[in-house]
Amino acid sequence: MNSAFFTSQVVFSAVKAAVTQIVVTPSDNDPDMGDRIVPLDLRQWLARLRLLDSVPFAYLTPDSLLLPPESIRFFYVDRNWTDALIQGALSVGTVNSSDRAQLEQLHGQIRDEIDQEERVVREPGGEAVQKGPAGTITGFLLRSRAVSGWPGMHVRAYRKELGKDNEIIPESSPDRIKVLRMERLSPAVMLVLFDGVPVVVHVEEPRCGVQFGIRLETSGAANQFNAFVIARDANTSDDVPPSPPGTHVPVTFRSGSPGVLDLKRTAQSLINTPGTHIGPNLDGAEFALEMIRYPYRQVFGDPSQGGVGNIRDVFRVSISMTQLKAKFLKTI
Amino acid sequence: MPQPGFFVLHSSAVPPLEAGDYTLTGNQTLTGGATQPYEGHVRVTSPRFRMPPDQILSTYPPANAEGSFETRLPQVVLKRRTLPWERVSDAANRAVPWLALVVIAEGEGQISGETPVKDCVTPGVTLNGPNDVATGFYLSVSETVVNKVFPTHDDLALLTHVREVDLSDTELAMGDDDGFLAIVMANRLPQYDRINCVPVRYMACLINLEGQLDALPKPLEFTFTFDAMAYVQDVRTFAAAANTSADKYVMGSGLNVALSPGAPNPQVVGPIHPKASQAGAPATFAAPAVTPPIAERAPVSASWSTTQTKVANIAASSAPAEAGRLVRDAMTAGFRFPVDKIVLEKVYRFPVLAHWSFTCTGAGSFETLLQGLDVGLLGTLPADPATQPKPDCAPPPKGDAPPPTDPPRPAAEVTDTGHVGLHHLTRRGDSLRAWYRGPLTLHVTERSQPDADGHLPLANVSDQLRRVTPDGREDLSLAGAFEIGRLLALSQPSVVSALMRWRQEQFGAERARQLAAKTLEKLSALKPDPAASIHDLGQLVGKQVVLMAAQSPEKMLAVNRPLVDPGRPLEYLTSGMEQIIADGFGFSLPAVQRGAGSVGITAALSQASVPKSDSVGFDSNAAAQLKDALSSAVEMVTAGAVQRTPPTGGGLRAAERTEAGEERDALDDLLDQAAEKQQRGKERK
Repeated sequence: MNSAFFTSQVVFSAVKAAVTQIVVTPSDNDPDMGDRIVPLDLRQWLARLRLLDSVPFAYLTPDSLLLPPESIRFFYVDRNWTDALIQGALSVGTVNSSDRAQLEQLHGQIRDEIDQEERVVREPGGEAVQKGPAGTITGFLLRSRAVSGWPGMHVRAYRKELGKDNEIIPESSPDRIKVLRMERLSPAVMLVLFDGVPVVVHVEEPRCGVQFGIRLETSGAANQFNAFVIARDANTSDDVPPSPPGTHVPVTFRSGSPGVLDLKRTAQSLINTPGTHIGPNLDGAEFALEMIRYPYRQVFGDPSQGGVGNIRDVFRVSISMTQLKAKFLKTI
Repeated sequence: MPQPGFFVLHSSAVPPLEAGDYTLTGNQTLTGGATQPYEGHVRVTSPRFRMPPDQILSTYPPANAEGSFETRLPQVVLKRRTLPWERVSDAANRAVPWLALVVIAEGEGQISGETPVKDCVTPGVTLNGPNDVATGFYLSVSETVVNKVFPTHDDLALLTHVREVDLSDTELAMGDDDGFLAIVMANRLPQYDRINCVPVRYMACLINLEGQLDALPKPLEFTFTFDAMAYVQDVRTFAAAANTSADKYVMGSGLNVALSPGAPNPQVVGPIHPKASQAGAPATFAAPAVTPPIAERAPVSASWSTTQTKVANIAASSAPAEAGRLVRDAMTAGFRFPVDKIVLEKVYRFPVLAHWSFTCTGAGSFETLLQGLDVGLLGTLPADPATQPKPDCAPPPKGDAPPPTDPPRPAAEVTDTGHVGLHHLTRRGDSLRAWYRGPLTLHVTERSQPDADGHLPLANVSDQLRRVTPDGREDLSLAGAFEIGRLLALSQPSVVSALMRWRQEQFGAERARQLAAKTLEKLSALKPDPAASIHDLGQLVGKQVVLMAAQSPEKMLAVNRPLVDPGRPLEYLTSGMEQIIADGFGFSLPAVQRGAGSVGITAALSQASVPKSDSVGFDSNAAAQLKDALSSAVEMVTAGAVQRTPPTGGGLRAAERTEAGEERDALDDLLDQAAEKQQRGKERK
């Protein structure tokens, strides 16, 4: 035997290899995510906590005036706040200072793992898991009767304005922003978190098949209502451009019965509207076509970016950071 | 079949045969005379008093739903496309359906319990033909309600149509089997009660109009603008009063029914039953037209969903067998007063094939609600803190005291950074104001990143995260976050135990690993056992040594012997092929190479002189010696083989082996010769 070879170096590496065998590497193997320090159940709980699950509502909106009734408020999520939240949760059970020291050493990796787990918390079927470093989380709080009345509302966020109305873009598409969390916190308050900064946000009425209805407008006097429909061409089902513009087909009501339609006159108005291509008599199919109402979609976005509506100050900082810094420096 | 996402509308699908009994007769006349006439009976069935549950694919609004349905017409989707035309209501025009969907509010009509079908229609009307069930439900409404709410004869065809959809489009097909659906719409938009600010419960009833088409209203006056505060008819208060005591009617004071907050105003349009109206002065039940002051009104939330939750609870809790009856019972709670006992006018009964209730909880629609939203970044305060969203109901009547407003509260203290000033009671008891900003901000914040060593700061207690802002007040945002995170973790024992287990198992393992690494740094001395606590370290080290030795044995043990030894070098082959050839033939290689330079290699070779002997001498002595030496060598070699052959006849001789199919070879000849030689030698002896 080549005894001269048994140097300390060999013994050293042998012992080292033996020690790595005897000491279990702190890892939690995840088929999707690879090796992880934090065990799966804990990681999921922390990721849900990171998405403000179970955080009391007063911590989110410290003053009730920040979310008045019938309002929607957009926001960015402060990563430092959520990190502090996680640090608080991790502080539980650190008994001695060596526990603390180890936790501090592992903290960076724990944070990265929770970042990645955030995107797995809400996994809609058929969508690829999105990976990559954690970015900015945005979202909105909606407090409205629309939340209590329409529980199955659809919310989508996009990085750019859509070309077509009926375009369907999967959540993993680069143009679309993943919804990290969508939850009704109370019957009338909804919290939605997005995995990025959207340009447009769509809030859409839940689809309950085909619906029929009219459009109401107040006639000026209190509790007096007019109604109209936008006429459609019976041959093509396209909207008929109103002539003169702004006038629509009026819907008549039975006198003395609020909300009861007078179909005969309404039908006559539809027949008289040029462009509907309805013969001398209106039949059930044509009447149904004129009455179809599609689910309503409200689009939130910056109007100067080509969005719809007259909403200002959405996704816009009201004071720039440089101004703010100058303000602080002046104060100091 | 239309494409997915598209559908085709048809105005009607009238079956050739209406429901009923038919007799088929056949006569055949042959040359021998007429045959016995054939008579067959056929029954075409269709629902009449009860809709089979599988025929209803969907309803809108959904049963037991709540919402602002003010701009949508209720509808029911039926599976069989011919259903609305399978019976005849108008013999002159088969396109007029026999089904209608009517929507009645609480107080406008009565839904019966299970009743024999002959009583399910207005007395005096009889329905011929077979019935589908023995008992059914009926809707009992006064003539006023019929005139105000029910569709006219001409409306019926407009409210019914057939939709053809693609079966693979689940949203449109809704579980249909042939892609054709019949839709029956109502002609009434649900309304929110704007006088009392309460939601209104509606009952949508799919009714049978057979034999009662004349009861439907004739075309009536119309208006472009309707008054949302008008009432159709509400007999609930009278129904409640009728239940209390008959004396009160007689004494004339009975109809001053005390209104409970939020109860609807009694505004009866139709004439009242003589029993109820004879004694009371008309002014008495022209109702206290006073709306209760706002302060006394029950909040909208309190009146929400009492019946809805009751129905939902019953549906969830009752036994499956009873659930249908109990849910129906709870649903019709507001539709249970005897209309015909209260109103004077004619009361109609219509068989109800299906009914469901929903609640209109607010004015407007999804669209108006969302367009009326106050949009902004978090931190945007409402323009005026006192502004409340406009109520869905009428303004309080003049003359009343103005409703008490909430005591004015100080405006929220919100900075441009999103921090909110909050009252802060310190641990010492000082009452201060501190800044707080929740996780939802109006700026993108910069996240703290690990330093150059990859070390990310970790707060140990929440106090480490308290900050002092330039104005001297404390910023408790992150400290609050830390504290609520700690409390949330502590509030769940499973999380606490998971954290502890993680720390014990894996933090311990990490500690051991780091300890070992640290010890191994100075292992060159290797005097003490580096990790005495690890009991089988020695064994593992031994195993590792063996494994490492196996990986590189030439270093650990000795150099291996090569598998094949090289042969001895052949010296004569070292000089090169050309030289060997030249030597063998005996010519001079340099001379040929020189010639090749001038005349080419072939010519040079042909010119080269090869030494040859002219006479081939043959030494016969030497040849004889060689021959002897060869034969003696052959004898030596074959001696053993021949000796081993049995002396007589045994073994396979050459001839036998040939027979056995084996070829003779040179060795066989040699052996035969040697054997003969031996034999001869023996004989010589």
